[in-house]
Amino acid sequence: MQSRLHHRWYVPYAFLLPGLLLYVLWMLYPLVYELYISFFEWNIMPGQESTFVGLANYEQALTDPNFWLALRNTAQYTVVTVIGQMLLGLGVAVLVHRVTFGKRIFRAIYYLPVVTSWVVVSFLFQYLFSSGRSGLINHILVSVLGLLPEPVAWLGESSTAWIAIYALGIWKGVGWAMVVFLAALQGIPPELYEVAAIDGAGEWGQFRHITLPLIRATTLFVMVALIIGGFQVFISVYLITGGGPLHRTEVVLSYMYDRSFGRLLFGYGAALSYILAAIVVFVSFLQMRVFRRPAEIY
Amino acid sequence: MKHMLRALLVAALLLPVGLAGAQEEPVTIEFWHTYNEVSPEHEMLIETLIPMFEEMHPNIKVVSVPFPYGEFRQALLTALAGGEGPELARLDIIWSPEFAELGVLATLDEVMPDFEALADAVFPGPLSTNFYDGHYYGLPLDTNTRVWMWGATVYEEVGLEAPPETIDEVAAQCEAVKALGEEFYVFGDDNTTGWNLLPWIWTFGGDITDPDITMASGYLNSAQSVAALEFLAEMVQSGCFSPAMIGTASDPSAGYFTDQIASILNGPWMYPIAEAQYPDFEIQTTLMPAGEGGSISVVGGENIVMFSTTPYPEEAMEFLRFTQSDEYQLKMSETGQLTVLPRLLETEYYQTHPYYGIFLQQLETARARTPHPKWTQMEEVLTDAGQLILRGEMAAQEALDIAAEEIDALLAE
Repeated sequence: MQSRLHHRWYVPYAFLLPGLLLYVLWMLYPLVYELYISFFEWNIMPGQESTFVGLANYEQALTDPNFWLALRNTAQYTVVTVIGQMLLGLGVAVLVHRVTFGKRIFRAIYYLPVVTSWVVVSFLFQYLFSSGRSGLINHILVSVLGLLPEPVAWLGESSTAWIAIYALGIWKGVGWAMVVFLAALQGIPPELYEVAAIDGAGEWGQFRHITLPLIRATTLFVMVALIIGGFQVFISVYLITGGGPLHRTEVVLSYMYDRSFGRLLFGYGAALSYILAAIVVFVSFLQMRVFRRPAEIY
Repeated sequence: MKHMLRALLVAALLLPVGLAGAQEEPVTIEFWHTYNEVSPEHEMLIETLIPMFEEMHPNIKVVSVPFPYGEFRQALLTALAGGEGPELARLDIIWSPEFAELGVLATLDEVMPDFEALADAVFPGPLSTNFYDGHYYGLPLDTNTRVWMWGATVYEEVGLEAPPETIDEVAAQCEAVKALGEEFYVFGDDNTTGWNLLPWIWTFGGDITDPDITMASGYLNSAQSVAALEFLAEMVQSGCFSPAMIGTASDPSAGYFTDQIASILNGPWMYPIAEAQYPDFEIQTTLMPAGEGGSISVVGGENIVMFSTTPYPEEAMEFLRFTQSDEYQLKMSETGQLTVLPRLLETEYYQTHPYYGIFLQQLETARARTPHPKWTQMEEVLTDAGQLILRGEMAAQEALDIAAEEIDALLAE
């Protein structure tokens, strides 16, 4: 009975079917439907007419200065937070890797921000960076450390609001990068370091010539994943500044949300999300190409 | 296995029969609103008014669904788009034209046989905010306006004797209040939306659009509107007004109650809040200080609307009627919601009320924000222009010229 089952060609498909159905229903269908919406001046109310406008939504996006600002902000956020998360993540991973006692505890502590809710920590950061003397960051900088003469209105100016948003993005992501890097570090055979030490390589030399080359694949993976995540920044911006002041901290997704749900321009919002998706795919593809080198040899 | 399937099938077929048999079950209608859960208005709704209604109409059950104001419009739109909207909603008067334009509201003057009688019973101003494109899409639920609230403690401390009667007197009080310290202000507000800016623009003699709402150029960028914004910018930048208007200081209401901000513009709901959170604070009121255009404040308030998608229009209209009753209106008056029924002003409750008088007086000259389906977008333009001007990043004339042009384009669509 069992062996006969294995030989029927449709059996694997039968097992794949439920997952495939869910994928089609929850991923593929909305994706295609959204593409369809992006060609319309879409009316969200059931039973109301929508007007076909062809590529007009896409044309509008490319000439919309607010969209370009949002895109630039998104790119900056991605650059700053990806670099921050990777450097800190790798640094912490190297340190935790060396710890002999309580490694698990350190790993758990650094990983904790990753599993917290974006909504909760966004409100927390908004509170930390609130203006006036009552804000905790202001209190520490002004009253405790005396580094600043007077409190800063962190979220009132875009330049300082970004500090709060970047800080949250990095703080929340370091743990994930650390865990992935740590796994890679543990996969490096210790003999390599021993041999290198005998040959006279110092700490830095070992790190530079053994660790970094051997975790290349991991580094690429972490980078691609973080960049995709960076382009999708939304909750923190939406909750901490709401894109303000004056839409200056708007990122692509918050701008898309505002156009769709604030101004009810759902066709335009759909077009924006497709443009963003195209950019993310392109950037990821580019990275894969640039980093493609002969397989690593142990 | 087959037996189980058959049993399930039979059960499924019997289900509608069971439902049809239970006709005695009350109909449930949902009422979505922004009655504040912190202040007593929501408690009044769910603990007194809805039970009162359900007792009169045992066949109807009313479910109250409260939302924070800032999230309500989008939550409602999303629900309606998904076909999951409520039967009734309490809408800010400025949202009515937009929802009417979307085609989701029931045309009350057509579907409600007694609409005319109900419409005749309310103040014409609030009623007019339900009018869109030849029809009425709702009835007013409550009305309000902002009056000048000042704090006796601060005034006494700095030796000021009376609240300002004119705009010039507002400016003149600055020096005295600033003597208390950097973080003390003559006046505070929390944004540059229409609600915040329009009392100043109108009081200075300016406006947003022409009376027929066809264009903003010549109105929003008139000399009077520019003067209003220049005044506010000067006040904020010289530290006379709290920078909360440009989002760089904390909530001015809290500052007012804690004697850091000498005056604010606010509505009657501040009394229940004061009573609950600052029981020692006594709110003092006067009219909006006058300027070239008089003493003009902004009309606020809410309408009640019914959605055309509801399967229970009769039951929903029954509750809608209830909100227009003396009982409902008087009970809500106790929580800071001014009635929309002129007949109630003759009641002893209103005649002897400790603080509604000033609001009713201010309402005589107060004006409504532009009743237009594009208002949300117009307001965004105004808010951003206000931010640019008050932050000192752009001259008032230039910013308002640009804003007027943008609003012209919106109105021309």
